[in-house]
Amino acid sequence: MRMTIKKFTVCILAAAIALCCLGGCGGRKDGPYAGRTLYIYNTGEYTGEWVLDDFEYQTGCKVIQDEFESNEQMYIKVANGDMYDLLIPSDYMIERLRQEGLIQPLDKSRITCWDLLTDECLGLGYDPQNEYSVPYFWGTVGIAYDKDKVSEEDLEREGWNIFLDPKYKGDMYLYDSERDMFMVALKALGYSMNTKDEGELREAYDWLIRVVENQEPEIVTDEIIDAMAQGRKALGIVYSGDANYIQVENEGMGFYLPEEGTNLWCDAMVIPANAENVDLAYEYINFISQYDEALDNSLTVGYTSPNRDVVEDLTGQGGEYSGIKSYIPRADNPNDEVFEFDADTRRIMADLWAKVKIAASNAN
Amino acid sequence: MKKINQLATPYIIWAGIMILLPMLLILFYAITDSGNGIVSFRLTLKPFGKFFTDPDFLLILWRSLGIALKTTIICIIIGYPVAYYIAGSDDRVQNLLILIITIPTWINMLVRTYAWIGLLSDGGLFSTILGFAGLKDVKLLYTEGAVILGMVYNFIPFMILQINASLSKMDHSLIQAAADLGANRTQCFLKVTLPLSLPGVVNGIALVFLPAVSSFFIPKMLGGGQYYLIGNVIENQFITVGEWNFGSAISIIMAVIMMAFMYVVRAIERRNSTVEEDDRRRRGAAL
Repeated sequence: MRMTIKKFTVCILAAAIALCCLGGCGGRKDGPYAGRTLYIYNTGEYTGEWVLDDFEYQTGCKVIQDEFESNEQMYIKVANGDMYDLLIPSDYMIERLRQEGLIQPLDKSRITCWDLLTDECLGLGYDPQNEYSVPYFWGTVGIAYDKDKVSEEDLEREGWNIFLDPKYKGDMYLYDSERDMFMVALKALGYSMNTKDEGELREAYDWLIRVVENQEPEIVTDEIIDAMAQGRKALGIVYSGDANYIQVENEGMGFYLPEEGTNLWCDAMVIPANAENVDLAYEYINFISQYDEALDNSLTVGYTSPNRDVVEDLTGQGGEYSGIKSYIPRADNPNDEVFEFDADTRRIMADLWAKVKIAASNAN
Repeated sequence: MKKINQLATPYIIWAGIMILLPMLLILFYAITDSGNGIVSFRLTLKPFGKFFTDPDFLLILWRSLGIALKTTIICIIIGYPVAYYIAGSDDRVQNLLILIITIPTWINMLVRTYAWIGLLSDGGLFSTILGFAGLKDVKLLYTEGAVILGMVYNFIPFMILQINASLSKMDHSLIQAAADLGANRTQCFLKVTLPLSLPGVVNGIALVFLPAVSSFFIPKMLGGGQYYLIGNVIENQFITVGEWNFGSAISIIMAVIMMAFMYVVRAIERRNSTVEEDDRRRRGAAL
């Protein structure tokens, strides 16, 4: 008798532990997708605090999210056949993936969230009919500046050329990405950032060389966010989403979009051609676009949500980003453009940017 | 004997797949390009030409070698006395000290380098201390000094452990013998200890110089994007530019330079030891 009681207790304990484990590392056993796994490939620190757990709980599936540092890094993995169910790359990369047949057209009838999304982030050049992608975050690229050191007047008069102003020598950050830096240079010269003209690219290259040889900039990536939030330098090129964070942290910092135009960008969700859990991917797309989930995403990451109501509430009276202009991407300047992917131009830019960085390190 | 040889088979297969194959792939990429519509690849040496005809790349290569050399020299200057001290202390202390030297290497290199960013940045620990000392606005992060500091910090344990290994293997009666024969302490060190510890120094150099030449994230983190070494050029060619052929060609050039370097270092070491042996033999004959 004693033996059986002992056995009984052991069984109960084992069952309890097993239940705890299941509860802890997956969704409900009775969820519609129990036992399945959704593989997401997203930028690092680009997801809300609880959305993944909640999705697991609601559907019963398990979510594995890998993180990449750059679109190019993601591209290498995906192009070499790694399996994911959902990718969240940037506009130009979506165009490239589409051109190379690496993503599949969406079954629009399975996406129920269209009317929740802001019109301005739909139908952009990289996917005019949104046949392949659903927006995830969007924004612009602009100048974060220290209000004490930089006069608004200079910004308005010089635009992007403020990076050539000797007043700010040694007091600026550039962003280490050939796309963004060539955008800045081309816009400063008054060209389209999607130019394929080698002469214009060459001029942009010379513009960048002038900056790195005369202005002692520091070329950084995401360190710029904390550095600008701490007001370490007067000027920096940042994404509008990072500018939101910088301004919330430090009221002395401002964000300026030059009239010469900027890059309107959008990171969006796409389903790779070799995805194995397509229905789960659709579930996730619809799930993450809802109000609560989009709000969690936007509050955690600081980037602009594609969900119209979230934008309204966050920038409205008492909202987290009320009064922060950078949260709402500019939509009324005809000089603003969306990146188009062109394999040859990309190569030229990457090559020239590498040379700019070499020149920068040889200038020191 | 045959059975023991068979036991090595899995290792040989493993080494073939994990070591030899990737190297052959890099070599393959380095001497080909993507070809045209008819053939999928073409043999070419163009990437090598591109590298050696561009003064910018050569300057970067020169600077990388310089940084690695400085790192190695500093590692020897700091590492040798430390290793000497450790080897001279008694066993229990010795184990403890070696543990202390090794502990940092248990933590990922990337994390340790990130820690330095915090320490060196404007408003970080060091610039605050310098600020109190009256030195305001000293730039620490994103300088060559920061890169060298990061490299020395990351690689010096290898130098210390190698030198220490050869020092503690050394037969102490040799020093006693030298002292008996009238050598003072400096002579003992220069004529006995130093030559016997040279193999350790050479191994240490190999373990410090080679990774220092090709390191790419220490310069990236502590030197900033405007501080470019050859490792960054290679990384950039693979990740951003997408020119795998050119990236591979630079890797091959680096590999050849490193092999040549190691060959020279080993040759010097070998000559030294043969010179000594000859010396000894000659003296033996004279006696």
